[in-house]
Amino acid sequence: MPEVSKMKKPDVKVVLLGDMNVGKTSLLHRYTERKFKDTISTVGGAFFLKQWGPYNISIWDTAGREQFHGLGSMYCRGAAAVILTYDVTNWQSLAELEERFLSLTDTANHDCIYAVVGNKADLTDPNAQLYQDSNVAPEDQTECEEERPEPQVLSACPTPPASPASLSGSVLHKQVAPEDAVAFYGRILRYKGLDEKSSLPAEKMCFETSAKTGYNVDTLFEALFDLVLPSILRKRNENQESPTVDLEECRGASNKRARSSCC
Amino acid sequence: MSVKAFELVPAVERDLLMGDKARINIECIECCGKHLYMGTNDCFIHHFLLDEVTSSKGKLSYSVQKLLHKYLGLKKPVAELRAASALERLIVLCDGIVFLVDMVTLETVPSAAGGGAKIRGVTAFCINENPVNGDPFCVEMGVLSSKRRTVQIYMVYEDRVQLVKEVTTPEQPCAVSLDGYFLCLALATQYMILNYNTGASQDLFPYNSEERRPIVKRIGREEFLLAGPGGLGMFANAEGVSQRAPVNWSESVIGAAVCFPYVVALDESFITIHSMLDQQLKQTLSFRDGHILQDFEGKVILASTKAVYVLVPLPLERQIQDLLASHRVEEALILTEGAQRNIPKDKFQILHKRILQQAGFIQFGQLQFQEAKEHFRKGQLDVRELISLYPLLLPASSSFTRCHPPLHEFADLNHLAQGDQEKVLRCKKFLISYLGEVRSTEVANGCREDVDTALLKLYAEQDHDSLLDLLASDNACLLADSVPWLEKYQKYFALGLLYHYNGQDSAALQLWIRVVDGELQDSTRSDLYEYIVDFLYSCSNLDLVWKYADWALQKNPTIGVHIFTKRPASKDQSQLNPDDVITYLGKHSQALLLYLEHLVLERRTQKEKFHTHLAVLYLERVLSLMSKKPTDEEQLTRARERLQALLRESNLYRVQFLLGKMENCEELLLERATLHGKLEEHDKALHILVHKLRDFPSAEAFCTWASCSQDSAYRQQLFHLLLGVYLDGNQTATGGGAGDLEMAAVDLLNRHGEVFDAVRVLRMLPEGWSLQLLRPFLGRAIRASMHACRTSQIALGLSHSENLQLLHDRLKERKKPIFVSEKKGCHLCHNTFSEPDVVSLPGGVPVHTHCVAQRVRDSPTKRQLTNSSNHT
Ligand SMILES: Nc1nc2c(ncn2[C@@H]2O[C@H](COP(=O)(O)OP(=O)(O)OP(=O)(O)O)[C@@H](O)[C@H]2O)c(=O)[nH]1
Ligand SMILES: [Mg+2]
Repeated sequence: MPEVSKMKKPDVKVVLLGDMNVGKTSLLHRYTERKFKDTISTVGGAFFLKQWGPYNISIWDTAGREQFHGLGSMYCRGAAAVILTYDVTNWQSLAELEERFLSLTDTANHDCIYAVVGNKADLTDPNAQLYQDSNVAPEDQTECEEERPEPQVLSACPTPPASPASLSGSVLHKQVAPEDAVAFYGRILRYKGLDEKSSLPAEKMCFETSAKTGYNVDTLFEALFDLVLPSILRKRNENQESPTVDLEECRGASNKRARSSCC
Repeated sequence: MSVKAFELVPAVERDLLMGDKARINIECIECCGKHLYMGTNDCFIHHFLLDEVTSSKGKLSYSVQKLLHKYLGLKKPVAELRAASALERLIVLCDGIVFLVDMVTLETVPSAAGGGAKIRGVTAFCINENPVNGDPFCVEMGVLSSKRRTVQIYMVYEDRVQLVKEVTTPEQPCAVSLDGYFLCLALATQYMILNYNTGASQDLFPYNSEERRPIVKRIGREEFLLAGPGGLGMFANAEGVSQRAPVNWSESVIGAAVCFPYVVALDESFITIHSMLDQQLKQTLSFRDGHILQDFEGKVILASTKAVYVLVPLPLERQIQDLLASHRVEEALILTEGAQRNIPKDKFQILHKRILQQAGFIQFGQLQFQEAKEHFRKGQLDVRELISLYPLLLPASSSFTRCHPPLHEFADLNHLAQGDQEKVLRCKKFLISYLGEVRSTEVANGCREDVDTALLKLYAEQDHDSLLDLLASDNACLLADSVPWLEKYQKYFALGLLYHYNGQDSAALQLWIRVVDGELQDSTRSDLYEYIVDFLYSCSNLDLVWKYADWALQKNPTIGVHIFTKRPASKDQSQLNPDDVITYLGKHSQALLLYLEHLVLERRTQKEKFHTHLAVLYLERVLSLMSKKPTDEEQLTRARERLQALLRESNLYRVQFLLGKMENCEELLLERATLHGKLEEHDKALHILVHKLRDFPSAEAFCTWASCSQDSAYRQQLFHLLLGVYLDGNQTATGGGAGDLEMAAVDLLNRHGEVFDAVRVLRMLPEGWSLQLLRPFLGRAIRASMHACRTSQIALGLSHSENLQLLHDRLKERKKPIFVSEKKGCHLCHNTFSEPDVVSLPGGVPVHTHCVAQRVRDSPTKRQLTNSSNHT
C-alpha cells in the first residue's frame, strides 16, 4: 500500500462500521486487492487511500470489537459516507448497528450518506455464491479456492458465523431479510431527523454483498463514491475560497464602491 | 520479520551518575544540543556534555563528561525538566512547584521584582513548541494544577512567569500537550482537544486514565500521539480527526515518540518500533527497567532508573537494503517513499529509482513479472541491466557494464533458475514481451542497438513469429552480432531480411538462393522462390537483377519472368530498357515470349519490333507444333488462335515479312488471308478463303473484319468483291463445288443484303437463278428501296413545310404588308403595276422587277454609294 505513505491529502472519507466479524476488513480487501484472504480481527482501525478519478478517497476500516468502540466517533468525524455493515446470517449484528454503532455517526458530516450492507450473502443467496469476480488476478482465484477454509472451519473464530447449510436444523443465528435492512434504513433517517422523501431511497442504499465471492462489492463502493462526489466538490471549493483572494473580484467590488460614492 | 531500524547506544552509565549509591534513581531528563540534564529522586540536577564519537568502523558511541550537579534543596524527586535555551533557563518541576534554574550554573533564579518566578500546586506542565506568539525571549507553557479543573497558560521569561490564560476543563486533566492554540488533554475518562483562545473543544475518545497512564505527545504540527484503549497508539489532529491508522502497542506503554517514519514506544521490558507508514511492528529491543522515553530535536533518549541511552536510527538506506535483502519489497518501497520529505529531492530520486530497480529484480527473481515490470518502469531501469542477465544476448560491441553496487544477487539467468529450464523459459518469454514493449519508448534511448539485437536473438532462439516483423520494420539490430546467431538457429530467411535492411541485398539473395536450392535448411517460407522473384522485380539495383534473373528464369521461366513483367513503372534509373531485356531473354525462349506478350498485349507498347517479334515467335511455335508428329491438335489450335488474333488485331508488325515466312505454307491459309487483308489485297485473301479453304463463313467474317473501320462504300465494295468471287468461281468450277459457291453466294446475299447495291447485284446474277432462292434478299432490297423512297418523300415534304413556315415567319416579322395595286406607281419608273410580282426596296417600297434589274445593271454599286453619300 504505497499510497498510504505518500500521505496524499484525502478529499473525502468513507467509514466502515459494524460489529466484529461481519466482514468489514474482508470487504475492503476484496475491493482494493480483489481477493478474499484470511483476516485477523482489526485492532483500532486501518485505512486505505483510493484514487477515484482525480480524487483521493480514504476508506476507514474500523474495529468492531467492543474494546475499540470508543474510537468510532473520532473515525466518523467528518465522514462523507458511512457503511453500516452487518452479517446476513446474524440477526444480532444488525441489532448491534442500531444499538451501538448508529450513535457513533453523530460526528459525521451533516450531509453524510448511509449505506446498510448485509455481508456474507454467499451463505444465503445462490446468486452471490456463484458470482465470479471478473477482475480477479488469475493466481488469486485459486488462492481463495484452495486456501479458504470451508465455512465450518470458521468455528475456530471467536464468534463463528454459522453456515445454515452446514448446520442444518441448529441455526444459531437468525438470518436477516432484506426488508429488515430497509426498515433499519428508515429508522436511520428518522434518527437523523431526515425526511424520507428528500433523502436517498432505501433501495439505493441497502446492499447485500459477499466479500468472499466479490458479489456486489464493486457496486457498493462505486455507488457510494458517485454519491459523495458532490461532497468532494464542495470541500474543494471551500478549501479554495478561504485562503485565496480573488483580485478580480476585489477590484470589481472597489470599483462599484467608488462609483456609488461618486453619485 | 523485523527491520533493524535503530540501535541502542549507551550514553550515561550508572557509575558515572551515582557511583555506588544504590538508592538514587533517574526521574527525568532533558537534552539540549550536547547538553544533557538529569533530575534524580534525591533532588539533584546533573549536567553532562554528550559527544558523538564515530569509530573507524563507522560505529557510533558517546563520550560523556560530567560538568556539574546541584542540589535543589527540596528533598523531593525532580519530576520534570525542560530547557528554555533562548532564556538560558531550565524549567523545573519539583515538589509541585515550577521554578527556573540557570542552565549553566544550575542556580535557582530568584523572583524578579515585578512578579514571581514560581508556580505552585503543579502536577504537570508542557512547553509549546509551536507558539502562536512569536516572541523568541519567552516560552509558552501549559500547566495542570492539582486542585482545579483548569489548564493555565503561562509565559516564561528569563526571571519570571506570567499567567496569560486559564481555561476550565470538564474533568480533572492529568496530561497535556500544546501546539498553537490547541491543548491536547488527557482527562480522567477521555482525551480532548481544547482551543484555549476560543474555548472550543472536541472530544477525541474515551480512555480510563485511572487504569492506564495516558500519553499525550505532540508529534508535529497540530498532530498528537495518544495512548488508546487496547494498547493502541492513536493519532489525532487538532480538528479531532485521525489521519493515520493506529499502531498496536502493548497495554503498558510508558512513553512514546515519533522518529519518522517510526513510532517508538517503551514499556516495562521492551522498546517497540512501529512504522507509521504501514502500522507494522518493525523492531523490538529488549530494555529492562525502562522508565523514560523522550525525543529531543529528533534524538530519542531512553532512561532506566540508573542509566541513559540514545536510540540511534540506522541510515535509511541501510534499513531499506536490509528489507530488500530479506525480499520485503513492499516494505522497502513504503519506507523509501515515506522518507521522501526527509531527504533532498535529487537525492531522493536517485535512491527511489535504485530501490525500485532492486525491488523489480527481486520480483523478477520470484517470477512475478507483472510487478517487476512495473517497478522497472517506475525506476527507469536501464534495460541492459536486465538483458545482461541473459547470457550472450548483449552484443559483443555493447559498452554496457552492470551498475555497481549490483542491483541484484544473480550472476545470470542460469544462476537464477538453478537449472530449472521451465523457469529459464518463462524469464525469456518475459524479456521478449518486455523488450517488445520498451523498444519504441524512451527507455531504449541510447541503447536501441542492444535492445533490438537482444530481441532478435530471443526471437530467433524461441522461434518467435515476431522475428520477421522486427526485421521488416525499423530496427537497430547489429549485423555482426546477429549473423552467427541467426545462422545458428537456421533463420536464413530472417538473416536475408537483415542483410537487406543493412543494404546488402546481394548477400541476402545469395543466402536465399542457397535455401531454395536446398543447400541450407530454413522452412520459414515455403514460397521463398516467389519471394526472391518479388524481391528482384522491386529491386532498384539493376546489376543484381541481371545477376540473379538467370537463376530465377532457369528455376521457373513463367514465374521468373515476373522480374521483368511485374516491375513497377518508374521514371528513375531503375527502369529497365525492354530492348535490353529482350536481348537478355534470348536464351530463355519461354520467358521471352511471355515478356513480349506482356509488352504487346498488356502494356500495349506501340513498337513494330515487338509486334513483329511476337508474331514471329507465335508463328515459329505454330510451325514447330505442326512439324511434330504426331501433332498435338489441341495445342496447335491454341497456338494458331493466338497467332491469328495477333495478326488480326495488331497493325504494327511487318506484314510482308511474315507473309514471306509462310508464303509456301499451305497449312496456314487463314493466317495468310489475314495478312493479305492487312495489305488490302482483298482479292487474294478472298481467293484463298473461298477457293483454297472453301471456308465461306471465314470469307464473310473477313469482309466484316477488313471493313470494320472503313465507310460503307468500302464495305459494299468488299462484299461485292466476295460475291464476284463466288459467282466467278461458280462459272469456272464444275461439279459439286460449283453448287457450293452458288449456295454461298445466295447465303451471302440473303444474310448481308443490306450492304449490297441491289441493282448491281441483279445485273451480276445469272439469268437462271430462281426468285424463290433470292426471296429474302429481294424482299429486303425492295423494302429497303421503298423505304428509302418514302423516307425521302417525307423528308421533302417536311423541308417544304419548314420552308413555308419560315416564309410565314418572315412576313410576320415585317408586320406591315406591302400593298401593291394598279393604282400605285413604281418608284423607279413611275408606271403602275400590272402584275403581283414586285421587288420591295428597303423600307417596303414596291418597284418593278425589271426596273430594279435595270438599275442594278446601270449603276454599279460603288457609284450608287458615292451618289447617295453626296445626296446627304
Ligand atoms: N462466507 C463468508 N465469510 C466472510 C465474508 N466476509 C468475511 N467473512 C469471514 O468472516 C470473518 C470475519 O471477517 P473480517 O473481515 O475480519 O471481519 P471484520 O468485520 O473486519 O471484523 P473486525 O475487524 O473484528 O471488526 C472471517 O473469517 C472472514 O473469512 C463473506 O462475504 N462470506
Ligand atoms: Mg476487521
